[in-house]
Amino acid sequence: MPATAETYSLGLPIEISKIDQGLKKLWQESESTATRASLVNLAVYSEAADSLSKNTQLMAKITESHACRAIVIEADCKASENRVEAWISAHCHVSSVGSKQVCSEQISFLLKGACTTLLPSIVFSHLDSDLPFYVWWQEELREPVHPQLWAWVDRLIYDSQPWEDFREQMRLLESAEQEANQRIVLCDLNWTRLDSFRFALAQFFDHPASHHNLAKINHVRIDFAPDFRSTAVLFAGWLAAQLNWQSEKTEAANRLRFGNSSGGKIDVELRERTGEPIGEVAVETPQVEFLVTHASGDLLEVSRGKPGEKRMPQLMPAGKNDPVSLMSEELMRGGPHHVYLHAVDRVRDLL
Amino acid sequence: MNLVTEQPEPNPLREGLSARAVPQPCTIVIFGATGDLTHRKLVPALYNLAADGDLPPAVVIVGFARRPKTDDEFRHDLEESTRQFSRQAVRDEIWKNFAQSIFYHQSEFGDESGYTALAKRLDEIDKNHGTRGNRLFYFAASPEQFEPILKNLKAAGLNQTCQGSWARVIVEKPFGTDLSSARELNRVIRNSFSEEQTYRIDHFLGKETAQNILVLRFANAIFAPLWNTHYIDQVQITAAETLGVGTRAGYYEDAGALRDMVQNHLLQLLCLTAMEPPTDLSADSIRDEKVKVVRSLRHWSRNEIAANVVRAQYSKGAINGEPVIGYRQEKNVNPDSQTDTFVALRLFIDDWRWADVPIYMRVGKRLPKSATEISIHFKKAPAVLFNKDLRDLNVLVIRIQPDEGISLRIHAKVPGTSFRIEPVKMDFHYGTSFGKPSPEAYERLLLDAMSGDATLFARRDEVEEAWDFIDPIEEAWHAKSDAPELFFYPAGSWGPEAADDLLARDGRAWRRL
Repeated sequence: MPATAETYSLGLPIEISKIDQGLKKLWQESESTATRASLVNLAVYSEAADSLSKNTQLMAKITESHACRAIVIEADCKASENRVEAWISAHCHVSSVGSKQVCSEQISFLLKGACTTLLPSIVFSHLDSDLPFYVWWQEELREPVHPQLWAWVDRLIYDSQPWEDFREQMRLLESAEQEANQRIVLCDLNWTRLDSFRFALAQFFDHPASHHNLAKINHVRIDFAPDFRSTAVLFAGWLAAQLNWQSEKTEAANRLRFGNSSGGKIDVELRERTGEPIGEVAVETPQVEFLVTHASGDLLEVSRGKPGEKRMPQLMPAGKNDPVSLMSEELMRGGPHHVYLHAVDRVRDLL
Repeated sequence: MNLVTEQPEPNPLREGLSARAVPQPCTIVIFGATGDLTHRKLVPALYNLAADGDLPPAVVIVGFARRPKTDDEFRHDLEESTRQFSRQAVRDEIWKNFAQSIFYHQSEFGDESGYTALAKRLDEIDKNHGTRGNRLFYFAASPEQFEPILKNLKAAGLNQTCQGSWARVIVEKPFGTDLSSARELNRVIRNSFSEEQTYRIDHFLGKETAQNILVLRFANAIFAPLWNTHYIDQVQITAAETLGVGTRAGYYEDAGALRDMVQNHLLQLLCLTAMEPPTDLSADSIRDEKVKVVRSLRHWSRNEIAANVVRAQYSKGAINGEPVIGYRQEKNVNPDSQTDTFVALRLFIDDWRWADVPIYMRVGKRLPKSATEISIHFKKAPAVLFNKDLRDLNVLVIRIQPDEGISLRIHAKVPGTSFRIEPVKMDFHYGTSFGKPSPEAYERLLLDAMSGDATLFARRDEVEEAWDFIDPIEEAWHAKSDAPELFFYPAGSWGPEAADDLLARDGRAWRRL
């Protein structure tokens, strides 16, 4: 390939009207035995300066495990001039079977000026046909949303962790979802961040004999890193939604209170600690504590027992908090995220 | 394929987290723990499940074997082999944690007291490790040991469980050597464990593409109307390997290719290819349909066997340019051996869907390349317009191994002013499209057994029906008079000419792999 991976350049500059021809030529000129692969269209949208280069690096990593047509967009909405620049490139890697080079195409756009109107037309004309369309939206949403665009999106991926106003952002997302006739699956990377902790905690209750403990939970402690309070609140929302807890009035921001269906109270203590986004979760009943701790590296340590009792911890994968790992995790999943939406509903006002 | 018969009330925290049945805490007791299968496949598979977070934390492995060994020595041996055979690199901290749950239990298979001690040990493990009385007994020992093991497990009460827990047994092939021995084995198993507790493992069914056959057929409406005698001309199933008998001569001399491969793996692939849609995805619904296929296989008379089944043995030749010896010259092989290392069959499924569609099967050692594939050859389009001179058919190929994937051969016009038509291939490779490598078959199957999902395991009647089909062929081959000829083929060739003739008589040829 003339423009291959490992160099994170944007590739060949090209006129918008000649992108298809350019891509064709890119493959024809391939001297190696490269295979083009694509399972989805993945558009990445950012308004940060120099995001094209940063996102190209991310796509080079993501395409190693998720073949896609990447459409990377940097928008400068405040620019006075109306201009679009484009580049084409390919990310290649050796496939997991054999020595075959597998390549994903990337089309990069720099949009200046009236990007709200340009965006749908740019994206629509460069989708790989018949493949699902995922959008990774790296900005906060603002009015007006792109009704035309949302109608085409299958999965909208975003990260709610840095959001200033969660409720407003969710309102905009839900209106986008309505525009799309509820077709969009909302995928929050802040939720993905919780996967390994949710998985580790859930496994304690797989055996029917341990189900009774769920009704006895009276205290939950969630340790979170600075800036990751929303992640911890989402975790509490998940427990509340799945265990049918109702939120009750709380006096302190980091002490949440819920009531269960039999009138029991559950205190959720949120503790800020340096370290991983979620450092530890302790779920307690009067008899037993279920503990999930971020151990060294990328492992979780899970154990159960009475306070002070000797435990036999087990290790589980912890997942990683970098954007490539979170995106890869998210792209592996399919189906709707009902559980996420239920969790959000329980704690919307607390976020 | 994840419906589980024993599924209790679901864990609400699991919702949306995994799309498969959840494996339960348990103790896995491996009989034949010092053998190859344990070291090369089972423990590496369990380690990979642990490293990927798919194994419940409370899983304990107890190796049961005759050789004296301490827990630590056993762990050390397993660590070495897992480092060698695991699909992912072994991480020290994960291995250390995983190895804490591995124990060794030394006993003769026929020694009743060894099982009484095992029962005590398992109770202690339940108490200390939270394995909740669930037991998975894996028979990785040789088949002649199955009976004493089963008898002693029963005597020690290990086939029974307390309420809310389970005991299951995984049996490795061969499931007998003929119908009567299979029935006897099933009887012996049934004396100790019910059919619901019995998991007969066929690792071919754990392969991603084998599972994908059902998805391809029943999740894609385009194939359903074509999948029958009206549109399919023939089906070919090939399982070829470049390897010779290697160190397995002791077993292989008695088994041969027909028993070793056709009775189980190839007939299972045929069942998935030919079965009717199941009523649902539960284990028994799928297996009900599979067994109907085997039951509908046309049985041959002794004369017909010679005309429809070819057996052969490799003689010296070359593989990838390297000279190799013939089967009879292999270590531990009888110099006059009559064992089949190659079989080609012409089969018919006498049911409504497959009437008159020949199924050609071939399996062999020391063939030019290693590949397991199923190919569906569609009938020719009417011989008018473009099709007057076309020789090639549309072919849908399901590649089981290696390079798992699916391809479809269609006809296309060669660019130019003339109407030249050539076959082209649309090709899907798992490895190219999905970056994540598939789990090993044993990983999937062990997890299924821990979850109580028997879909990918063979049921008693499937095994017995398969032997009922195979037995007359073996009997004809071993008849004192008029036994069909044993052909020879040079190593590195695609088998004897007689195998080609089998198809040539029908005006067909083996697909070029």
